[in-house]
Amino acid sequence: MRISVYRYNPDTDKKPRMQDYEVKTFQGMMLRDALLEVKKQDESFSFRHSCGEGVCGSDGVNANGLNVLACVTPIEELKQPISVRPLPGRPVIRDLVVDMTQFYEQYRAVKPYLVRKDPLPEQELLQSPADRDKLDGLYECILCGCCSTACPSFWWNPDKFHGPAALLQSWRFLADSRDQASEERLDALDGPYKLFRCHSIMNCVEVCPKGLNPTRAIGHIKELMLEKGL
Amino acid sequence: MSRQASGLMAWLLQRTTAIYLSFLALYLLLKFIFDAPADHAELVDWVAHPLVAMALMLGVPLVLAHAWVGIRDVLIDYVRITNLRVGLMTWFVFIIVASGLWFVKAIITAGTGG
Repeated sequence: MRISVYRYNPDTDKKPRMQDYEVKTFQGMMLRDALLEVKKQDESFSFRHSCGEGVCGSDGVNANGLNVLACVTPIEELKQPISVRPLPGRPVIRDLVVDMTQFYEQYRAVKPYLVRKDPLPEQELLQSPADRDKLDGLYECILCGCCSTACPSFWWNPDKFHGPAALLQSWRFLADSRDQASEERLDALDGPYKLFRCHSIMNCVEVCPKGLNPTRAIGHIKELMLEKGL
Repeated sequence: MSRQASGLMAWLLQRTTAIYLSFLALYLLLKFIFDAPADHAELVDWVAHPLVAMALMLGVPLVLAHAWVGIRDVLIDYVRITNLRVGLMTWFVFIIVASGLWFVKAIITAGTGG
């Protein structure tokens, strides 16, 4: 099988190029396995990966134009020759390794943790099963960045728009019955940028390897804002 | 006063105006497909009808408000240089206000038999 991989080393290359490799396939081969084969052939090739199980979210790449998590993407699902590029819109550090700093800054900005104003109980904070169910489809995010780097609004304004991954987490804590900072969270999302750059393009939904729906979460935030604002 | 431009209100304005405009657009589409005025005099008669004139008069500010939010979104998305963005926004405000005044004048002129 032929695989075409994006190569760029800012220290030595003037501009990026695509380099072809021949890789032997096996049954059940994932895209990450193919990239590891490329790495065996050419040690100078770089890409991030870790668990290989779709849990750590390290190996987000753009395969044939679509953001995927390489370790859970079977080779047979991809049209050949496979073209693998870095996640779009992010500065390239080297080959498939991109700088995700802005992505993490946006995540940090939504305060992705429970905020309590009441004194903490001596034991755990209890939650009804119905309230716990509201977090399904939200907490599973592994922060691979496939969604935000597929979002045109995040491409244009990555410094100001939170992006789908961070906003999914924002709703995850707004929806949590144990959190006590709804007003502050909504106030922080005010203005035309942080939340309202989302135009429901839904690339995020299309590419999420966990099948999550950030667009729906963003819609819930807008509804809550409306409910509390009017 | 917040130093930020509006987020929620702009979004709400765009959504609510879209509801009215979708009905108005559907009516205009059906009217011009199945019962289009044959000549200018018939067109003026149709516009002069109180219900039509009212629907159009209401439609003018709503379509302009809707257009403003859309144009503002495009400029916020794509124009990074602040001075250029402010200049373009001002330019579009002029176009939108002028279009609105011209549209209202056309409806009133038709209504007064001009």
